[in-house]
Amino acid sequence: MELIIGTFANVLILSSMYILVALGFALLFSIMGILHVAHGAVYTISGYICYHLAQAVGLNGWLSLALTVVVVSSFGLLLERLCFRPFFGEFDRSLVVGIGLILIIQTTMVITRGQESLSIPSFVDGFLRYGPISVSHERLVTFAIGAALLLVLVWFINNTKPGLQMRAIAQDFRGAIMQGININWISAIATVIACGSAAVAGCLMGAYLNLNPFMGDHVLSKALILVILGGMGSMTGLFYAGLVLGALDATLPVFFSGSVAEVIAMSVIIVVLLLRPTGFLGREIT
Amino acid sequence: MKLKSPFTGNRGKMIKPGACAGLLIILIACPLFIKSPYLFHIFNLTLIYIIVAVSFRTIMTSGQLPLSHAGFMGVGAYASATAAKWLGWTPWITIPFGALVAMGVGVIMGYPFARLRAVYYAMISLFFGMLIISSVKAFDTWTGGAAGLTGIPTLFGYSKIPYYYFFLLLTSVCLLALYRLEFSRTGVTWKAIAQSHEVAASVGINEARYRILASAIGCLFAGLAGATYAHYNGVIGTTSFGLMATILLLIYVIVGGAGSFFGPIIGVVLLMTIPELLRGLREYVPYISAAILLIVVYIMPKGVAGLANSLLSWFTELRKNRRTSNAS
Repeated sequence: MELIIGTFANVLILSSMYILVALGFALLFSIMGILHVAHGAVYTISGYICYHLAQAVGLNGWLSLALTVVVVSSFGLLLERLCFRPFFGEFDRSLVVGIGLILIIQTTMVITRGQESLSIPSFVDGFLRYGPISVSHERLVTFAIGAALLLVLVWFINNTKPGLQMRAIAQDFRGAIMQGININWISAIATVIACGSAAVAGCLMGAYLNLNPFMGDHVLSKALILVILGGMGSMTGLFYAGLVLGALDATLPVFFSGSVAEVIAMSVIIVVLLLRPTGFLGREIT
Repeated sequence: MKLKSPFTGNRGKMIKPGACAGLLIILIACPLFIKSPYLFHIFNLTLIYIIVAVSFRTIMTSGQLPLSHAGFMGVGAYASATAAKWLGWTPWITIPFGALVAMGVGVIMGYPFARLRAVYYAMISLFFGMLIISSVKAFDTWTGGAAGLTGIPTLFGYSKIPYYYFFLLLTSVCLLALYRLEFSRTGVTWKAIAQSHEVAASVGINEARYRILASAIGCLFAGLAGATYAHYNGVIGTTSFGLMATILLLIYVIVGGAGSFFGPIIGVVLLMTIPELLRGLREYVPYISAAILLIVVYIMPKGVAGLANSLLSWFTELRKNRRTSNAS
C-alpha cells in the first residue's frame, strides 16, 4: 500500500514537472517553428542559480526561487532577441544554435561547479500523516506549485488576448500576421513563459533530486517525447501524453527490469506513432 | 579569340579529382613526418566518422532525416563485436557481418516507416534509435549493457599506423562509392523524391522502394564504420550511439553544408578533429566547438561548403563580368 502511494506520488510530481518543461518547449515549437533543444540547459542553469542564491548568498528559499525565475526569464528575452528571431522557422540553423548554447552552458557549469553533486536546501520540512500513509510536505508543495502553475498557464493561453494570439500564430502564421498580430512581441512573451516555467521546474527538481550539469538532457528527452506523442501544436494532447508517459514509467518497472521496461515503452510509442503519426491530438503539418 | 575559364572545359574537370589525389598522397605520406600515436588516433577516429557523416547525408538526400543513424553505427558495432567475442570469428568476417546486420535492420525499419514523411519520419526514427540503445542495454549478458563491452578482438594490435592505412583505404573506397551513387540515376531519383514525392510518383518512381534503398545503403555504411570502430577501439559503450551522438552527426552535416557531398567531411574535420587537437585546453574545449558552431550558423547560412560554393560562383561571375566589359 505504502509502495503504491509512494509510486503514485512520485509519478504525479514527475509528470507535472515534465509537463511544465514540455509546455514551454511546445509553445516555442508551435509559435516560432524552432526546436529549442537548449530548454534542458535553461532548466539546469536555473537550478544552479537558485542553489547559489540560497547557499552562497544565503537568501530565503522562496525569495531565491522568485529571483531565479526573474533572472532566467530576462535571460529568455535576450535569448529570443539574439538566438531565436534571426532563425524564425529555420529548423536546421536553430538546432545548431541550440547545441551551441547547450555546450556553453554545460561547460560553464562543469568548470565552475565541477562534477560534484549539489542539492538546493528543501523549501519546506515535515511530513503529512494520514493513518499509515505519510507524504513529505516537500513533495506536496512541489506537486501543488507545478499543478497550480500549469492551470494558470492553460488559463492564460486559452483566455487572455496574448494567449489567444499565440494560438492564432500556431494555427496559421500568415493569417495571424494579416490580422495585425505583432509576432515578435508574442514570441518574446512565449519565450519568457517558457523560460520561467522551466526555471520553476529546475528549482523545485533541484531541491527534490540532486543538481548535476547534465540533468537537463533527461528532462529534454522526456519533453520531446511528450510533445511528439501529444501532437505538435496541441496543449490538451500534452496533458494526455504526460499522463500516459507517467503511467508507463510507473507501472512497467514494477513488472520488468529497467532496460526491458524502456524497450517496451519505446515499442509502444513507435506503434502509437505508426498508427497516428500526428500524435494523440495533433493535426497534419506540412 | 575566345578565353577559356579555368572552371570549364577539360582543365576544370580535372581540378576536383586532382585535388583529391593530391590530398590522398599527402595523407599517405603523413606517417613519414608525424610520429605521435595520439595524433594518429585522432586521424583514425576522423576517418571513421567521415564515413558515418557522409552516409547520414546520403539518406538525407532522399528527403528522410534518420535521427537513429548513430544507433545503426551501434548495431554494426555490437553485431560485429559480439560475434567476434562470443563466437570467436575473425574480425575480417565479423566486420562485413556487422555491416549486413545494420543494413538488414535498416530495411526492417524502412518498410513500416516508408509511409511517414518529413517531420514524422524524423520523430519516429528518433524513437527507433532510442529503442536500439535500450535493446542493447536489455541484452546485457552479451552486450555488457550500460557498462560497455570490453575485450573485443582488435584488427592489428595496438600500433596506430596499420589502422591508419586501413581506414584511409576504407574511407576512400566508401567515399568513392557514395560519390558515384550520388550522381548516378539512383541519386538523382532520391533528390527528386526529396523535392516533391508527388511529382516523383507521377513520373513512375516507386517512392517507398527508393526510400528503403537509401536507408539500406546508409545503414550499411554506418554499420561498416561502427564495426571497424569496435575492432579498432576494443571497447564500445552505448553513449557513443545514442541520441546525442546522432544530433552531433546532424550538426557535422549542417555546419559543413548539407547541400554538398564534401560538407559532412568539412564538418567532421572542423568540429571533431580541431577540438581533439586542442585537448591541451582540457575542459575549455567545448567552448571552441561552440564558437565554431555559432560563427558558422550566424555568417554561413548554408554551411562551410555552401560558403565555398557561393564564393566560387561569385568569383566566376566577377571574371565573366570583367571579360564582357573588356569586350565592349
